Amino acid sequence: MTAGPNTIPAPPLLRMLVLTGVALVVGGAASLAAIALVELVSLLNTGLLVAPKARVQWESLPLLVATTTVLVPTLGGLMVGLAHRHLSPAGRPLGPPDVIEAVQFHKPLPGLRDGVISTATAALSLGAGASVGQYGPMVYLGAIFGGFARRLRLGVPNLASIAIGCGVAAAISTAFNAPIAGVLFAHEVVLRHYATRAFAPVTVASVSGYFVANVIFERPALFRIESPGIAHGYEFVFVAALGLLVAVGAILFMRLLLSIGPTLARWITRPELRTAMAGLAVGLTALALPDVLGIGTSTLRFATIDGAFGLTEVIVLIVAKTVLTALCIAAGFSGGAFSPSLLIGSLIGVFFWIMASSIAGVPSSGAAIYAICGMMGFASAVIGAPLTCILIVFELTRNYDVTIAAMVAVVFSNLLSHRAFGRSLFDVQLARRGIDFSLGRDRARLAALKVVDHLQPEAVTANADDAPEHVANRLREQGWREAFVLDRDGKLLGVFTPGIHCDIGSVRSGAVPARLVFDDTTNLAEAMERLRSFVGDAVPVVSGESGKYLGAVSEADLVSAWLDESARLRKEENASI
Amino acid sequence: MRLSDVLLISSLISAPVAAEELTIVSWGGAYEAAQRQAIISPFTTETGLDIEVAVYDGSWSALAERGSAEGWDVIDMLADQASVACARGLLLEIEPSSLFSQAALQDFTPFGPDRCAVPQNAYARVMAFDDRAFAGVKPTRIGDFFDITRFPGPRAIQRSPDGILEWALLAEGVPPEQIYGLLSTERGLRLAFRKLDTIRDEIVWWDDPAEPAEMLGDGRAVMAVGFNGRFFDVAQRDRAPIDIVWDGRIIGIEVWAIAATTDVPDAARDFIVHATTPASMARFATRIPYGPTRRSAFDRIGFNPDIGLPMRAYLPNAPQHGGRVLVRDSSWYANTEELRQRRFHSWLDAAE
Repeated sequence: MTAGPNTIPAPPLLRMLVLTGVALVVGGAASLAAIALVELVSLLNTGLLVAPKARVQWESLPLLVATTTVLVPTLGGLMVGLAHRHLSPAGRPLGPPDVIEAVQFHKPLPGLRDGVISTATAALSLGAGASVGQYGPMVYLGAIFGGFARRLRLGVPNLASIAIGCGVAAAISTAFNAPIAGVLFAHEVVLRHYATRAFAPVTVASVSGYFVANVIFERPALFRIESPGIAHGYEFVFVAALGLLVAVGAILFMRLLLSIGPTLARWITRPELRTAMAGLAVGLTALALPDVLGIGTSTLRFATIDGAFGLTEVIVLIVAKTVLTALCIAAGFSGGAFSPSLLIGSLIGVFFWIMASSIAGVPSSGAAIYAICGMMGFASAVIGAPLTCILIVFELTRNYDVTIAAMVAVVFSNLLSHRAFGRSLFDVQLARRGIDFSLGRDRARLAALKVVDHLQPEAVTANADDAPEHVANRLREQGWREAFVLDRDGKLLGVFTPGIHCDIGSVRSGAVPARLVFDDTTNLAEAMERLRSFVGDAVPVVSGESGKYLGAVSEADLVSAWLDESARLRKEENASI
Repeated sequence: MRLSDVLLISSLISAPVAAEELTIVSWGGAYEAAQRQAIISPFTTETGLDIEVAVYDGSWSALAERGSAEGWDVIDMLADQASVACARGLLLEIEPSSLFSQAALQDFTPFGPDRCAVPQNAYARVMAFDDRAFAGVKPTRIGDFFDITRFPGPRAIQRSPDGILEWALLAEGVPPEQIYGLLSTERGLRLAFRKLDTIRDEIVWWDDPAEPAEMLGDGRAVMAVGFNGRFFDVAQRDRAPIDIVWDGRIIGIEVWAIAATTDVPDAARDFIVHATTPASMARFATRIPYGPTRRSAFDRIGFNPDIGLPMRAYLPNAPQHGGRVLVRDSSWYANTEELRQRRFHSWLDAAE
């Protein structure tokens, strides 16, 4: 394996140089790519009359605006679906879950071609105004650059994973002008450990992303907030309640998103028609509610202005944006859930603020605080990154009071959503692919190792008709105490232990059912649990489908595989450089 | 903005003269006088070329009508007018990289030369107040313009949607880079007019750009929207107690462009290169408070030769002002003319 955990390490100084160099190159490249993506989307938004500034210049031709509003997302959806179907072997958009999987299991990312197509379709989806986010594609784009480090043989263990973390951090740092949040996001969501070997280069990459975006290109942050702070102490209680409210919203949103996909696939069999249909839904809704189009930067801004929305308006928008985003992502538009989450969360915050200040008449510090707290509470429940969200607020507002309020909202939101749904949308999506991070990365890593890969070649088998003495002799020669008895089709009948029974004609009558049987899907974590009360040489492994005997694994081999994997994890999580 | 000057000067200047070596078209008045002293005279001395200065009203249609007949060569235009004229083929394309070095091109701010135009100076729509009206705390931010509780009194505003809609959203805390995007939405316009509603009863309207400074002087208004050059003249030359709030200033850019029909393209290019050196820009800015469009020119700006004031502090785009800056989005202005007028007038009518 190249650049994986088994790399033979180079001298420390060289490793330090390699890590810094990789971090700078990956960070810079990921940042430039992220900027290019944002620019491309904004160009498309202008050309396709999605951006308000482009729409307003045709204001005198309402029919033209209405036609493009409906046609652009529909045709965009059709093209996105066709591109996934015909150009990309993966056949679907890629996103943070794929990055997490690659990093956690030291696997290569899905093919470069898939990545490029997914990025292109993301630009098209966002450009055509689909209700999806841009940060997921940016994260994936950053990861692609990190993924190139896999080909380098420079003597740094786990270089590929670290480099992917670097790309991700630089992308987030560029997107939000928030280098600290970039570092945290890469660790909280992608790497899931804080080894210095990873932390240092990820920080370097994040800062270089910030440098490229801020110093070289002098780009403004995608979302800048000026906030006066918290005026009343009791508002901290309010934001805690808001945290719980947005968690409910986030859970409903994620459940909806996960359940629409299969239903939609049943109704509409051709994938490109699914995306076209979702685009049509966005377009038709946008005729009445242009706020649902695209990333919704303007709507996000309005949420911070007191009284920009009426109560009914905000409720309708929350429902529309939630349903359309779930629909667009589930239908196969390429894009993330983070920016729509920011928008939906901020609208729920506004709703809460209207209820508290206008309906209940309690004095408050204004809509902006609630919009920010709602936005981050919702988003942190979706991406499962509370620290990142808190830091994003801090870096965007540079306001201590607001950050503390947002922190309260974020933890209360996470408390509820983690309990009732799961750590994040990504983790639940991965769990549905059979990768379960709910009990930590070590458990997931052990669960990825199959016992069937540790078969002991010397295990002794016997045919049902064999004479017991022969089998006993073979066992003695091999130094085993038990033989696995198979029928003519190779299926496991039981375990034969010589010396227990006397006067039997064949091993069949002496065989007892095996106390423990693994199949080809049994993983190491599960096997270790079940081995607790096991006494014996080895555990037979059978095929789950046919019931045929595949071999046997010895307890000692399983224990050493478990110890090896734990040692690799320990090394990875505690490496200095 | 300089309509009165334009009218005055154009009445003094006789019919076109076509046979000059180089015809430069500008706005007349004190502005043109400053250009003559700072840019045109040194160029004449340097090259020996004969230069005629014509005056126009600043519109691209004037260029279309008079340019060829009167032999216009170099034209001083507003950036948005120049981009319309360029799109209509009225201007000569100039290939900026053939006129300026790479370093010089990067020296331009807030944007560099484009296909047809080279930025030459910056003016600003700013807020000013009568110092006598606020004995204690003075207004410092655009939000204060809309705060009639802390800063009571009449506000002088141009009878036009220009500028004031931007300020209404700035006062709501919208960052400058999002102003025009938000004003392009129905909700944004609604919010802007809602903000304007809060000061509706305190508004006194002006049409002539000279009025706001006068209104502050004679007490008809305590705060006013106007152009920085006008406020400067009244405050510094007439010693009126007027102060400018630079927060939220809306910067407009003047450019040099060459008429497509010019018969002396080389001389015209030479003139533009000369006129946009940091030294020329700095000489101009010391005579009239229109800021240079090259960063390095700021370091050369000294005292006004007439009144002996250090001019750097009075330039709209001086780096030390801080606060929020908005660069007038010329394409947005060109595209939304009809919509803005319609909404503005229906808002005006709603009051009556």
